[in-house]
Amino acid sequence: MRPLQLLAYSIIWLASLPADARTVVIDDSGTLPYHATLAMHWQELSPRSRASTLMVGTLELRVHLALAPWLHRRGHIYMVLPAQQPGAITATWTTNGRLLPGQVSTGGRALVYAGPITAPFIEDMVHLTVIVDGRRMVQSYPVNFRFEMEED
Amino acid sequence: MSPGRRGLLERLPGRDLRQRSVRTASLASGLLLATAAPGSFAYDVTLTPASPKMIYFQVGNGLFTGGNYTPIKGNGQPTGTPGVNTTINKVTVSVAANAVGNGTAQAMTTDSSAANSYWDGYLFCNLPAELYIGGFYRTTGAGTNTATVTATLPVSLTDAAGDTIPFSQISWTTGGNGDAGAEPFPAGSFNATTLSVGSISQNHWAESCWTFSYANTVVPAAGTYTGRVTYTLSAP
Repeated sequence: MRPLQLLAYSIIWLASLPADARTVVIDDSGTLPYHATLAMHWQELSPRSRASTLMVGTLELRVHLALAPWLHRRGHIYMVLPAQQPGAITATWTTNGRLLPGQVSTGGRALVYAGPITAPFIEDMVHLTVIVDGRRMVQSYPVNFRFEMEED
Repeated sequence: MSPGRRGLLERLPGRDLRQRSVRTASLASGLLLATAAPGSFAYDVTLTPASPKMIYFQVGNGLFTGGNYTPIKGNGQPTGTPGVNTTINKVTVSVAANAVGNGTAQAMTTDSSAANSYWDGYLFCNLPAELYIGGFYRTTGAGTNTATVTATLPVSLTDAAGDTIPFSQISWTTGGNGDAGAEPFPAGSFNATTLSVGSISQNHWAESCWTFSYANTVVPAAGTYTGRVTYTLSAP
């Protein structure tokens, strides 16, 4: 009996592990501002198009990523923009060099760092630009970003 | 991160085996939660429409300071800022005495200096024959609303002596350099004291150039006849 019970629990154990168990959300609670308000303004696309429905806003963030759990290891850090309202969001950013610049759309992620983790945290200034379809902006929407670590 | 893991590697007696199994299940659950609870760390940005409903409209001279509406700056704001121009432009015609009332339409001209579109500086209207009329209507949401332009005017133009010329003697054609298709401000005439003269679709910039004409089918007394037309853009 006992070995069978052990086997049953072992099966449960293996089945419970998701395929991306090595992808872990990074503590970014030191990021400032952590709950920002971004004023979105209308943007025009091209001369004489006479119509544009995109809204754009820019924001500066001091991103702080706590990396102590991965100290002295190697990994890939991604900025993730989960699918959420108002949908069809595109975020682009530049940095001061510690993190990679990039672009991400809703439901996707972009690499911001790859290599050894040599310090318990990474900090960088991120100049974030968010573009959204103004036809969806019928109210204010909180948009969540997160960072993920994938160990090598 | 994984305090129970070291315990799994040890050989434990039966009773402790059950406890280890419980810890195993809990650890699996805990690990699953650690990778499936992304909301625990996530900075958020609240997107708020700033000045979502905007209208701008000009008939004749308008005003943009700092440049045209385009190109758009890096912060999403237009280059130029719409303003208020209090100028009241004139559209005039002088009819020679020997032509009064002969039925030959007389072309009118404007004193407006607005030839270029504030959208992008494009030379859109040809002065002094054409009067610029245009603007924009912006709002959030996916609706198909339009902002409408209404002209209000008196029945007649009048001179100092009280003589009148019906406003219906004045009509206009429409166009614009490089334009094709239907104009947002179509051709018409002042055949009523309140007229809908065009519209601007939601999230559009609309513009036309009007060329006015005096029908010259009446024989009024000699004089200078004036009348004011007021154009109003109304957004829902």
